[in-house]
Amino acid sequence: MRWWVCLVAGVLLSAGCGRARHAPERGASSEVEVAVFKGGYGIDFFEKAAREYEAKHPGVKIKVWGNPRVWEQLRPRFVAGSPPDLCYPGWGLDHWSLVYDKQVIALDEYLDGPPEDGTGTWRETFEPSLLRLGQYEGKTYMLPYFYSINGWWYDRFLFEKHGWTPPRTWSELLGVCAKIKAAGIAPITFQGKYPAYTVSGFLFPWAASIGGQKAVDDAQSLVPGAWKSPAMLEAARRIKELRDRGYFQAGANGMSHTEAQMEFVQGRAAMIPCGTWLHSEMRNQLPPSGFEMRFFLPPVIDGGKGDATAVCIGIEPWMVPAKGRMREHAIGYYRYLTSLPKAKEFVEQKGTLMAIKGSDNAKLPPHLVGAADAFRRAKTVWSVEYVQWYPKLGTATQNAMAALMNGEITPEAFCQRCEEAAEQARNDATLPKHRVQRD
Amino acid sequence: MAHAVPRRRSEAGRARGVQRGAFVAAFLLPATALYVLFVMWPVAQAFIFSLYRWRGVSMERTFTGLGNFAQLVADPVFLRALSHNLALLFFGGAVILCVAIAVSHAIHTEGRAARALRAVYLFPQVISMVVVAVLWSFVYNPSFGVLNGTLRAAGLGHWALDWLGSSRTALPAVGVVFVWHALGFHIMLLSAGLRTIPVEVTEAAVLDGAAGLQRLRSVTLPMLWPVLRVSMVYLVIGSLNTFALVYLMTVGGPDRSTEVMLTYLYEHGFKHSEFGYATALAVANFGIVMLLSGAVMAAMRRDPTEGSPA
Repeated sequence: MRWWVCLVAGVLLSAGCGRARHAPERGASSEVEVAVFKGGYGIDFFEKAAREYEAKHPGVKIKVWGNPRVWEQLRPRFVAGSPPDLCYPGWGLDHWSLVYDKQVIALDEYLDGPPEDGTGTWRETFEPSLLRLGQYEGKTYMLPYFYSINGWWYDRFLFEKHGWTPPRTWSELLGVCAKIKAAGIAPITFQGKYPAYTVSGFLFPWAASIGGQKAVDDAQSLVPGAWKSPAMLEAARRIKELRDRGYFQAGANGMSHTEAQMEFVQGRAAMIPCGTWLHSEMRNQLPPSGFEMRFFLPPVIDGGKGDATAVCIGIEPWMVPAKGRMREHAIGYYRYLTSLPKAKEFVEQKGTLMAIKGSDNAKLPPHLVGAADAFRRAKTVWSVEYVQWYPKLGTATQNAMAALMNGEITPEAFCQRCEEAAEQARNDATLPKHRVQRD
Repeated sequence: MAHAVPRRRSEAGRARGVQRGAFVAAFLLPATALYVLFVMWPVAQAFIFSLYRWRGVSMERTFTGLGNFAQLVADPVFLRALSHNLALLFFGGAVILCVAIAVSHAIHTEGRAARALRAVYLFPQVISMVVVAVLWSFVYNPSFGVLNGTLRAAGLGHWALDWLGSSRTALPAVGVVFVWHALGFHIMLLSAGLRTIPVEVTEAAVLDGAAGLQRLRSVTLPMLWPVLRVSMVYLVIGSLNTFALVYLMTVGGPDRSTEVMLTYLYEHGFKHSEFGYATALAVANFGIVMLLSGAVMAAMRRDPTEGSPA
């Protein structure tokens, strides 16, 4: 009880205070307030860029603040109607609810304007496949900054030592898994406590590989029957096959992301699905020598209809609150952050990939080269979007995934459960609907 | 004139009374004001918000009457979560009470073991819940955890399970930690209670030939009754309001096998942006805690040492 009293007190009192005194946290009225999620890349880059922007625009003051739980402070600010002028809330805040409640603005008017430098429009400087992820009903509400690529990882040294090669196809996967298992190492581990990893790492890539990208697009877009389509069912069966063959690390079902990634880093498991943040997340646990993580795309199913070059990416969007007061400079600052020189700087300093075209010409760290190559070659770029659109469906399918990975339900039952959850989302009139966009 | 003096005296008395009242109020007012502002008012607001559909990111909300509660009583996951809370209460609570009674007796004696136990029994209680959860996640870790390591070393390798990763073992595994953490507090309560039992009473019982279980049943437990009642109420509150432990160890999984009311509340509020429904869950949680605490108080109201009512 104490816990939820604090919760409700926090949200509601700040709402009350906010209504009474507008924007109590604000300093000078010409100050642009920028709230950023302080993840693995820190906030120093944004602070430095703020000083640079101030130097270019005398009289403008930009205050950048952030922490690893910034969304907890942003929620009451939004409820109170006194949000910062520019927000990067991180993964903890439901972005789409902000859009539905009209708390953030559509940015198309600015995107169709000039970029920070050069010709054309600001819109044209972004990778279109990433820009699309922030769109709803034809308008762009959220902008990407850096992005991550989801795939599988292996240790170059371990594989070289045993003469294994990262599998490109299902049959190669079965072959190499048999060898790895014979060597006394668990072939594949996964972050079982958070089944979202197994949806983006196993289920969706194989469903897309079997039935074409449409199989996954339809499931995400709530097309009736898509969650129990032959492709989805076959993908679930492949997962069960790996389980039955004993290729998943025993005990991975209960492991958190760090625990499973630790198994991989310490060489007790040979492969793991994860995004390109893996390296920075495990930075402090990496062995000093004899270990180099390398990226490869999830093995494709032999004879499948899907695009073998398809790449699954993810973004953490930035947005401009509707009730922010320094809109022009907030957007101006973001435009500056997304300029090509700044984007390249970010890639080099932080070792991640950027949503700005041409920024991957910067010097990439070795673990990212494979991922960047895969993105450049990709004819299809997709993202796990349904979890943000329909969080309840996300939870339901992830729970079913945990049960499937545990061997507690059959692939058929898995698909049935997911389809029923999708049916509920479909019939829920209070849920605004989205569709995966393809060119 | 005759009754002027008493009147004057009563006026003075009244003035003194008012003065004393103001004095007392001055002490009570800040605490009361803070309590009303930070506890009563949010609770009252929670009741109001539970009547709305609210995403919790703006003041936009839609009145739905008792819609959230109608959804709640038909929500199988809520009922399942509640059953997990109750399992913690009944099974965990039974273990806690039995062990706490035994240990509080043990540390009541003199001796090196008792002294050592007295020094350590409260340790789990003073460790932050977050640390407890992380610590035990390591214990249960299937790859390098102490538990499976011990089992394998003892030749019981086939008992080495994926404790937190399997639907069958996850709730009992979390329950063990719940007991481990809560035990110290209840031992403290009961051993304080034991100290209040007059030596004369126990000595008389011994002289009368009451020993062992008989003394426990007929003398100690009845004398401990008020403390046991407090202990039970704390168990109700503790088990129905479990959050951090479950959230950090299993996030309610795998496949909801450890879901409790407050992790489900958190999921709805913070993951699904259904703050109206989450607040309805909070109100239901509040009601259930009040109801069960009240039931415990009522059931244990009669103090067995006071004899049967006429």
